Amino acid sequence: MKPAQFETHEPNTVEEAVSLLESLDDRAILAGGQSMVPMLRFRLAVPETVIDINAIDGLDYLEEDDGWLRIGALARHADVEESDLIDEQYGSFADTAPLVADPQIRNRGTVAGAIAQADPKGDWGSVLLAHEGEIVAQGPDGERVIPAEDFFLLPYDTTLDENELITEIRVPTPAPREGSAYHKLKRKVGDYAMAGSAARLVLDEDGRIETADVGLTAVDITNVRATDAEDHLEGERPGSEVFKRAGELAAEQSNPESDEHGDAGYKERMVNVLTQRALGDAAERAGLVKRRVSQ
Amino acid sequence: MSSDSERFAEAEDGGPQPEKHCGHGRGGMGEEVKRKEDQRFITGRGNYVDDIKKPGMLHCEIVRSPHAHARIENIDKSRALKVDGVVAVLTAEDLLEHDLATMPTLMDDTQDVLVNDKVKFQSQEVAAVIATDRYTAKDGAQKVVVDYDVLDPVIGADKALEDDAPVIRDDIEGKEDNHCLDWETGDEEATAKAFEEADVTVKEDMLYQRLHPAPIETCGAVGDYDPGKDKLTVHMTSQAPHIHRTLFAQVSGIPEHKIRIVSPDVGGGFGNKVPIYPGYVVAAAASYVLEEPVKWVEERSENIQSTGFARDYDMTGEIAATEDGEIQAVRTDVLADHGAFNAVAQPSKFPAGFFNIFTGSYDIDTAYGTLTAAYTNTAPGGVAYRCSFRVTEAVYLIERMVKVLADELDMDPAEVRRKNFIQPEQFPYESATGWNYDSGDYEKALDKALEMADYDHYREEQQRRIEEDADKLLGIGVSSFTEVVGAGPGQSCDIAGVEMFDSAEIRVHPTGNATVRVGVQTQGQGHETTFAQIVAEELGMDVDDITVEHGDTDTDPYGLGTYGSRSTPVAGAAAAVASRKVREKAKAIAANELEAAEEDIDWDRESGQFHVTGAPDRSISITEIAAGAYMNHPKSEEPGLEAINYYDPPEMTYPFGSYIVVVEVDRETGEVEFEKFVAVDDCGNRINPMIIEGQIHGGLAQGIGTAMLEHVTFDDNGNVTGGDFMNYLLPTSMEIPEFETGHTVTPSPHHPIGAKGVGESPTVGSPPAIVNAVVDAMSHGGISHVEMPMTPDTVWEKLDEAGLSMDPADNVSLEFDDQQSGGTADD
Ligand SMILES: Cc1cc2nc3c(=O)[nH]c(=O)nc-3n(C[C@H](O)[C@H](O)[C@H](O)COP(=O)(O)OP(=O)(O)OC[C@H]3O[C@@H](n4cnc5c(N)ncnc54)[C@H](O)[C@@H]3O)c2cc1C
Repeated sequence: MKPAQFETHEPNTVEEAVSLLESLDDRAILAGGQSMVPMLRFRLAVPETVIDINAIDGLDYLEEDDGWLRIGALARHADVEESDLIDEQYGSFADTAPLVADPQIRNRGTVAGAIAQADPKGDWGSVLLAHEGEIVAQGPDGERVIPAEDFFLLPYDTTLDENELITEIRVPTPAPREGSAYHKLKRKVGDYAMAGSAARLVLDEDGRIETADVGLTAVDITNVRATDAEDHLEGERPGSEVFKRAGELAAEQSNPESDEHGDAGYKERMVNVLTQRALGDAAERAGLVKRRVSQ
Repeated sequence: MSSDSERFAEAEDGGPQPEKHCGHGRGGMGEEVKRKEDQRFITGRGNYVDDIKKPGMLHCEIVRSPHAHARIENIDKSRALKVDGVVAVLTAEDLLEHDLATMPTLMDDTQDVLVNDKVKFQSQEVAAVIATDRYTAKDGAQKVVVDYDVLDPVIGADKALEDDAPVIRDDIEGKEDNHCLDWETGDEEATAKAFEEADVTVKEDMLYQRLHPAPIETCGAVGDYDPGKDKLTVHMTSQAPHIHRTLFAQVSGIPEHKIRIVSPDVGGGFGNKVPIYPGYVVAAAASYVLEEPVKWVEERSENIQSTGFARDYDMTGEIAATEDGEIQAVRTDVLADHGAFNAVAQPSKFPAGFFNIFTGSYDIDTAYGTLTAAYTNTAPGGVAYRCSFRVTEAVYLIERMVKVLADELDMDPAEVRRKNFIQPEQFPYESATGWNYDSGDYEKALDKALEMADYDHYREEQQRRIEEDADKLLGIGVSSFTEVVGAGPGQSCDIAGVEMFDSAEIRVHPTGNATVRVGVQTQGQGHETTFAQIVAEELGMDVDDITVEHGDTDTDPYGLGTYGSRSTPVAGAAAAVASRKVREKAKAIAANELEAAEEDIDWDRESGQFHVTGAPDRSISITEIAAGAYMNHPKSEEPGLEAINYYDPPEMTYPFGSYIVVVEVDRETGEVEFEKFVAVDDCGNRINPMIIEGQIHGGLAQGIGTAMLEHVTFDDNGNVTGGDFMNYLLPTSMEIPEFETGHTVTPSPHHPIGAKGVGESPTVGSPPAIVNAVVDAMSHGGISHVEMPMTPDTVWEKLDEAGLSMDPADNVSLEFDDQQSGGTADD
């Protein structure tokens, strides 16, 4: 680790952090450092000042409150992984946490930091999209709430203002008959997704799909919603054939690139498979029973 | 009571051996002694190159080329020199002044230390910035401005040999193409005839992809020239300190006795730390010029992108056989990518290493092989990554081809092996390409592995899944490999002209303990324990009373270093022979102390005591003898109790084994999961079973990395796209299944303690077992090969090709359950 020289500040409150953001020119926020430190190390980031937000009290919460699951900006991936609340109520979050990076990175890296990083290969963006979640930011003019759908612009680029600090990531608490899941294909622990699919289903009293949200990882310039698949699912009765078509539609809507991690055709195929799998698990968690045809 | 001759009598006839555990409680042969070196490693007190601090030490950062093929037009140092703390910027021009601009590779090619004219691979060394700390050195490096005239890069050995390919090595006089070398082995005509007449022939193309050994510690050096003594000390990550001293003397013109190479604790080598790299030379040269110590330590991506890669053999294999599976001939043709220089690390008379051992464990009397190597615009290499010089490629070839043959004949691959094994009574066995196998019992190891793996059960389960159209296919892979390790003999094997012997020196001190110095160098293999155990066994000493030293050319006897599993076969033999020399002298001292004739003194291996023949209570221990050697030495002898041995092995040793791998292949995604992993190894007599087990586990992990994950990739512009750990994927404990290890014991008849090398067997033997398993899962669909690394997409393409891929909807149907319909979410 041979970064260029920088200074550090350690604000103790959100307000202090925001005023540092406002007053300093060439600065970067450091949370868990799992993306920031590599960027400093490769000198891809050469800020004059690093604002380390780890000393801010009260940002490491993970709780249900007022109709939202709220994840404070300093809650780590490991906090999500270890949470009983997540385990019992939020299938997609419980699926995702242990699949992010490796245990060491999960102990330090934050969910908010991963969202801020806006890596199209990041997992949390897809989950957030599938839950119609929100990003809560604090800036010089106060608090701003950004729907996940309006957040991601380009790889590593978001609609967050440069003077804003993310304080919270949140998603609505689940409705009755809601289930969600995340499936990711990777080659080893610590590897980013070759492809990933997050699905959330809410069923109506008749057992038809009232709401379907699907978020995709690593197959476009940002995490994206698979809207064609969602449209196809809504109003339908869940089942393998419906999910199969949804998988195909998600694959068609995705735009993966060929690289060392696999060619585009394969990745599209995997979007299909992973979406079907995620929908299957989501349906099961919404109260359906899965039956295997073979075996 | 047992004597040497009894103990190793069996070894001498080379017959099958019972296993022996006879450490006698003193930590000798066969005892699971805890590794002596681990105390310092576990408590964070290891001393690696990067831990070395010297007063006034400067730091070096290397400026590397972003292009794969480019002529350097100008280097502007001025902005770098203005950075506060930058002491010097070195380029080829500066090195030329001191005659240090080029260095020989181990294959006697010439490589620029810093690029003089033309860059030949991405990340090649262009300039070096020396500064007061490593951060400043990097600041300075970013300010060195290099103007390049970018040339068309040549990537891929096949492209390199095309007629219109740009010539990379225009520094070689008269060179008009990228051809590096041709090589052949065996009998072309006889082989062609065997193929014409055979009932069955099979052929398969396979790439052993470019790998990087990627030791956890990257390469580094501290050059420390002392103008007072006119002596150059280089602390460096070296697997072979003595040969590096000789090469340094040749490059620099500094007399060899004025050079000291110290290889301190080394964090893994795997062949990567056998060659000399420009960074070492730069650190030494900078220290010489600036008269201050200079440290250079690579970053991870520099290590992967510029230092010795391994493999990169594009092979075609062919087998000719009878209808009932008897192999009659084997033939192979290889296209090798050597990178920009011929810098393969292998004995100089073996341009293709030991690749011609490709007849493997089988009695095949007709064989022929050819190889062409090409220069490309990639980093030089072809190092022996945890193996003996290309034996890995050879084993992969034959073990893959046997599976191809078995599928063609619809025979069980274990059966085909059994049918063709060299039989125990055929040893010593001379192979069709001239190798002299020392000993083996291949069927015994295979039988043991089959039993441990519950082979028949998995064959049934495999069939069941096929019949039931299950979503996960089962594949069972077998590999019955033979390794060839322990180079010399010196007559046929040399490195840069120096014969491949090795050495051990034993000094028994007056108070009864001993220091052992060896010419090999540990990088994690556990030498400080293993060699102490050999000496403990041979002298009747306690293993705790023995310290093993290595890695310092000022104090250790000359040796050729550790790679190719040669430490136990060669330096281990030297340790045993030196011990026996000490024992001979000890007898004279014992005779003096016990007031008996020397020929009446016996040594008892069990008790470790010397005693008068027929009178076991008139005995004396080695501790008492040591005192006698210094305090009451017999007038017939010199005082002291020491011995040294330089051991030139009469032959190599041939460890072997059988590995069985069971995998599950996911028909929806192409993902592969390990169900079972059995490894039965035979390395002759076993010194420390725990260390062997550790070596096997580590090597199997690397075999899994090879088969499933690792590949140094390039794009068409010569950019390394697999040059860091985000893209060059190493397995972690999470990717490694439970290993079930077993062993058989077939001693080497010519090794003083019947031992063979073992550290590399698992890396050599496991990749074909894994690939065979994945192929086996799809062979009913007509698949005969899957290229490594077997990433999910590679496997899925094959599934799809065979009509075996599956959609989740084929597999699961969802039903609505009334009872739960009103239930809560996430039941
Ligand atoms: C080897 C490796 C493997 C990985 N694998 C995965 C993976 O499989 N899946 C996955 O999703 N991710 C993966 N990651 C990325 C990882 O999730 C992120 O690095 C990490 O979670 C980012 O959070 P952090 O707290 O460490 O942020 P930092 O590294 O501290 O910051 C990241 C970025 O976010 C900004 N930032 C951080 N916090 C805030 C805030 N509160 N407000 C505004 N901006 C902020 C920083 O300025 C910086 O630009 C991997 C990373 C590594 C190194």
